[in-house]
Amino acid sequence: MFPPERTFWELFVTYVSENWPRILALTGQHVMISGIAVCITLLICIPLGIYLTKREKLASVVIGVANVFQTIPSLALLGFLIFVFGIGNDNAICALVLYAVLPVLQNTYTGLRNVSPVMIQAARGMGMTETQILLKVQLPLARSVIIAGIRVATVWVIGTATLASAIGGGGLGKLIFAGLGALRQEVVLAGALPATVLALLADQGLKMLQNHFEPRRRALRLARKYAAEESVREEKDVPGEEMVRHEM
Amino acid sequence: MVTFEAVSKVFTDGTEAVKELDLDVGEGEFVVLIGPSGCGKTTSLKMINRLEENTSGRIRVNGRDIRSVDPVQLRRGIGYVIQEIALWPHMSVAENIGIVPRLLGWDSGRIDARVDELLVLAGLDPAKFRHRLPDQLSGGQKQRIGVLRALAADPPVVLMDEPFGALDPITRDVLQSELKELNKSLRKTIVFVTHDMDEALKLADRVVLMRQGKIEQMGSPEEIQNAPANDFVRSFIGEDRLASISPESSLEILLHDPFLRVAPGEDPRDVLERMEDDGLETAQVVDARGNWMGMLYLPVLKRTLRNRGTLREAVRRNRKLVLEEAVMRDAAEMLADMDLSIPVVNRENEFLGVVTSGSLARLAIGRLSRSRKEENA
Ligand SMILES: Nc1ncnc2c1ncn2[C@@H]1O[C@H](COP(=O)(O)OP(=O)(O)OP(=O)(O)O)[C@@H](O)[C@H]1O
Ligand SMILES: [Mg+2]
Repeated sequence: MFPPERTFWELFVTYVSENWPRILALTGQHVMISGIAVCITLLICIPLGIYLTKREKLASVVIGVANVFQTIPSLALLGFLIFVFGIGNDNAICALVLYAVLPVLQNTYTGLRNVSPVMIQAARGMGMTETQILLKVQLPLARSVIIAGIRVATVWVIGTATLASAIGGGGLGKLIFAGLGALRQEVVLAGALPATVLALLADQGLKMLQNHFEPRRRALRLARKYAAEESVREEKDVPGEEMVRHEM
Repeated sequence: MVTFEAVSKVFTDGTEAVKELDLDVGEGEFVVLIGPSGCGKTTSLKMINRLEENTSGRIRVNGRDIRSVDPVQLRRGIGYVIQEIALWPHMSVAENIGIVPRLLGWDSGRIDARVDELLVLAGLDPAKFRHRLPDQLSGGQKQRIGVLRALAADPPVVLMDEPFGALDPITRDVLQSELKELNKSLRKTIVFVTHDMDEALKLADRVVLMRQGKIEQMGSPEEIQNAPANDFVRSFIGEDRLASISPESSLEILLHDPFLRVAPGEDPRDVLERMEDDGLETAQVVDARGNWMGMLYLPVLKRTLRNRGTLREAVRRNRKLVLEEAVMRDAAEMLADMDLSIPVVNRENEFLGVVTSGSLARLAIGRLSRSRKEENA
């Protein structure tokens, strides 16, 4: 009469094997929504953070406002933004950006502020222009703090992006809400699992980027590159010497 | 080469850091600015490369009013060793040194060659140090790199703000000698800031002694020492010598004669009697040629005599300091562990004297009353 009772995992595997193109497409959407949100955040916050280091009073106001957005519950914010942007991905992306602003802005600002004035003075004393000081000294020294902020923002965005479907957007949230509505846990998992994996991957990826710029590793890379060039130079030198000997 | 004409600097908060300074630094001259903290040395230096702008008067470098030169261009033509060294921690040694050449647009081959040349000049193996990071260097190495960074583009004028400030006296001395030697061939015009009179006297062609933004006296090291213009100069020369005492200083000024010196052949019972009469815990055994044979501790000597031992058996040799190797800190630590005279010998084992907690205390009293006087002044 009834189909034989199936375990949760069997249900999950069946669901995934039957619906994987849809899961994949939604994952793609999810990546796109999050990616766009993170990119917009960076485009706004990094220049703004740099600017704010020169305007201390304004900085406390702006960061205070960013803090307020942070405290609004995400679903409430998304809901509220429906009135502004209507329904859909734009709305979702906009909300995600508001969310991600704080960690990136704050870390850019404090990262730059924490660069010792002495380092900047040395740079100025050697004859760097203000732009060169920013690019060669301040940003590199603040880099790992800034990337740490981006990591936090990215993980939040990927997580919160699951709520996008609540306001008519796409992404893995669709599966989660559909699963919740139909009381089908395997569907919820099919949405939640890729979202979690995405967040972990992004976090690890950015961590690797952070490590890549770590001065010690960079110095090692430089040394290795130099050694390689050196050996190339030596190889070139050898035939040269032989020629000289022939001539003699 | 560098000329100050009635130069003053008033900071926006009203601090008058430099007042009507007149100074003419000749080409190839080594001028040392010296004076107590806050007298305006750093400010004077920074006005030369426009890190601070003078509020009145005129400064010329190489004949040109620096106000007529773009500050960025001006700075690229003047070497600068900043007081805090401030090597950029994210750049390798080579990148730190090569920064000004890079800003000037040298090609990378030329920069590499220049960096290696400078490292060799400073006695650092390029293969080993080129790709190190500043935090992989010792204090002395960092200071060397700081100086090399200033020399990289071969500027005719170099400004050095306490480049050897935070170093132990020995490394400091080595670097001073290196710099002096180096400049014999480079013939840079150097304006050097310090508050260490020994350093000034050692390096300078001309010493400029400053107080509260004004020049108190200016002259060759000999002139300053032989004919101090006033009490301030006199006390500064003297005081500063004392101020150079640190935990890393030599023990020499702590040495004094032992309370009891005995010859190896003396009768141990006599020695014991003298020690007990005078209330002494220790005695030093020194032979006729002045060699240190060891020391006697009252309890050890008593025990030895009870067992009918000889003086030789009572002698202990494990607690001593070698003058050339030990510093004040060592003596203080040993005295804190056991408050008994420490014999001091030289490398040839010649007995030089003892250090006691009393001699340390006297030094401390001297320094305390001196800083009290400074406060009152
Ligand atoms: N940016 C500033 N604003 C206000 N006052 C300043 C500023 N920089 C320095 N001063 C003041 O100017 C005076 C001279 O300072 P300066 O740094 O030139 O002294 P210094 O001789 O180099 O002392 P030190 O031996 O401690 O380095 C001091 O009284 C200092 O407090
Ligand atoms: Mg100073």
